[in-house]
Amino acid sequence: MAEITAAVDEQGANKLLDAAIAAIGTQVKSGSGSLGPFVANYTISGTLTNGDVDLIPPSTIRIVDLRLDWQIDFSFGIDLSDILPDFCLPQVCIDIPCVGEVCTPKICIDWPTISVPISFGDFLKTTADFEVVASLVGGDWIVSIKILGVPNLQFGATTAALLAAIGLAVTPILLAIPFLGPFLAIAVNAILAAIGIAGLTGFLGPIITPFVSGLTFQIYKQPKNFEVLPAAGAFDPAVDITIDALAAVVANSGEDELILTADVSP
Amino acid sequence: MYDEFDSRALRRTDCFGQRFMKAGTYRYGVFPANGQHLSLERPFAIKVDEARPGQRMKQHTVTLSVVKGGFKPDKPEITIEAGDMVVWNCPEKAMTPYAVVGDKEFFASSRLVNECGYSHAFGLPGDYHWVDAFGGPVQGVVRVRDPGVKTKDDLEKWRQTLAQGTVVMIDDQQAKPREIEIFVGQTVFFAVTKSAGLSITDERLLETRK
Repeated sequence: MAEITAAVDEQGANKLLDAAIAAIGTQVKSGSGSLGPFVANYTISGTLTNGDVDLIPPSTIRIVDLRLDWQIDFSFGIDLSDILPDFCLPQVCIDIPCVGEVCTPKICIDWPTISVPISFGDFLKTTADFEVVASLVGGDWIVSIKILGVPNLQFGATTAALLAAIGLAVTPILLAIPFLGPFLAIAVNAILAAIGIAGLTGFLGPIITPFVSGLTFQIYKQPKNFEVLPAAGAFDPAVDITIDALAAVVANSGEDELILTADVSP
Repeated sequence: MYDEFDSRALRRTDCFGQRFMKAGTYRYGVFPANGQHLSLERPFAIKVDEARPGQRMKQHTVTLSVVKGGFKPDKPEITIEAGDMVVWNCPEKAMTPYAVVGDKEFFASSRLVNECGYSHAFGLPGDYHWVDAFGGPVQGVVRVRDPGVKTKDDLEKWRQTLAQGTVVMIDDQQAKPREIEIFVGQTVFFAVTKSAGLSITDERLLETRK
C-alpha cells in the first residue's frame, strides 16, 4: 500500500502545467526545407502556452487549446529564368540627322537569381492528450507528462497569409531588376503558384510539428533518497527515507484528480 | 540592383558608336571602365579606306566577348570606308563595365569627342538627370515611365514600343532635346556631333562618388 499520496484537482493541474510549460521557454531551430520547388533556409522560434487541462481517468491529461506562438525567418532563392520567358531587346534603328541610320544589335537579358527573405509569425492552437509517466532517472524520481501521438496542426489561414507575405516580399525585389517591371505580375503569380498552399503546408508542417509532437513536460522531481528530519543533536541523527516506488494516475474520487503515490522505506 | 547609366562605363544594354571620317588605321583596346591607363597596348584595329564617291554611311557592328584577361572583339581588325560608323556592344552576362579606347584623341567611349554616340536601354522607371562628368555644361533628363502592364495585350503593346528609339543630339553646349520621355526598355541614342570631350553620366553616380 502506498505510504504517501498526493493529489491535485484540475485547477491545481492547470497551475502545475502552466509552470511546467512556461519553464520550457522559447525554443529555436534552424535548418532547410522544401518550399514547393525552392529550398528555404529557416530559423524558427516557438513558445508554448498552456491551455485548459482536462483530467481523464485512468491516465490521460488532455490540454485543450495548447497554444504555440511561432516566428519564422526564412529565405529562398529563385532563378527567375526558370519562371520568366526569355526576353530580348529588339534591334533599335534610329535616324541620325546628317549621318544616317544607326542600329543597335538585339540584346538578350538573362534574368538573375534572387534571394527572398521573409519574416512571418503566427500562432496555432491544438488539443493534445498526454500520459503521466513516473520514472527513476539517476537518483531522482521524475514525473512527466508525455504527448500521445502527433496532433493534427491546421495551417489553413496561416498559409494564405504567408503566401500573401511572400507576394509582398518578392515584389520590391523584382521591381529593382532592370526590364522586369512589365513582367512583374507574371513573375509574382508564377512564384506564388509554384509554391502554392501545398508547398507552404509541406514546408511549415515538418518545421512546426516537432514543437508539439514528442512534447514531454516534467511536472515533479524528487531525489530517491532524501532527508525528512534534520539531525537534532549527537544522539538524534537526521532521518532519511527512500522512495522505493512512485506511481502517477488520473482517478475520479468525486472529481477528477491527478494522484501521485509513493512507497517509502527508511 | 540599379540601372547604371554612364557612357564612361559601358554595360550590356549599352553601345558605343564611332564614325571615322579620314582614311588611316586606328588602333584601339577594350578595357575595364577607367582601366584604359593600365596599358598602352591597342591590339585591335579599324582600317579606314578612302570613301568611294557617293557612298552613304555604313554601319559595322563589333561584338565583344569576355575572355581571360579582358575583352575580345569578334573582328579584331575591320576595314571600312571613311564616313562609316563602327558600333561596339558586349552582350555577355559575365561582362564587367568597359570602355573602348583608341589611339587618337577623338576615339574613346570614355570621353566622347565627335561623330560618335552612346546608346543605353533604360531598364528601370525614374527620372535620369544626366550631366557631363568632365564638368561641361551639357546636361539633360530622361524620364523613364512604367508602361503599366496589366494584361497580356498591354505586354504585347509594350514589347512593340521597344523597337522605337529616341535620339538626343549633343554638341559642346547643349543637348537637343534636353528632356525626353520614354518607357522602360526603350533605347536612347546620344549622338555627339562635336565636343571637347564629354560623358553622359547619371548625376546620381557622381553624387555617390563625391
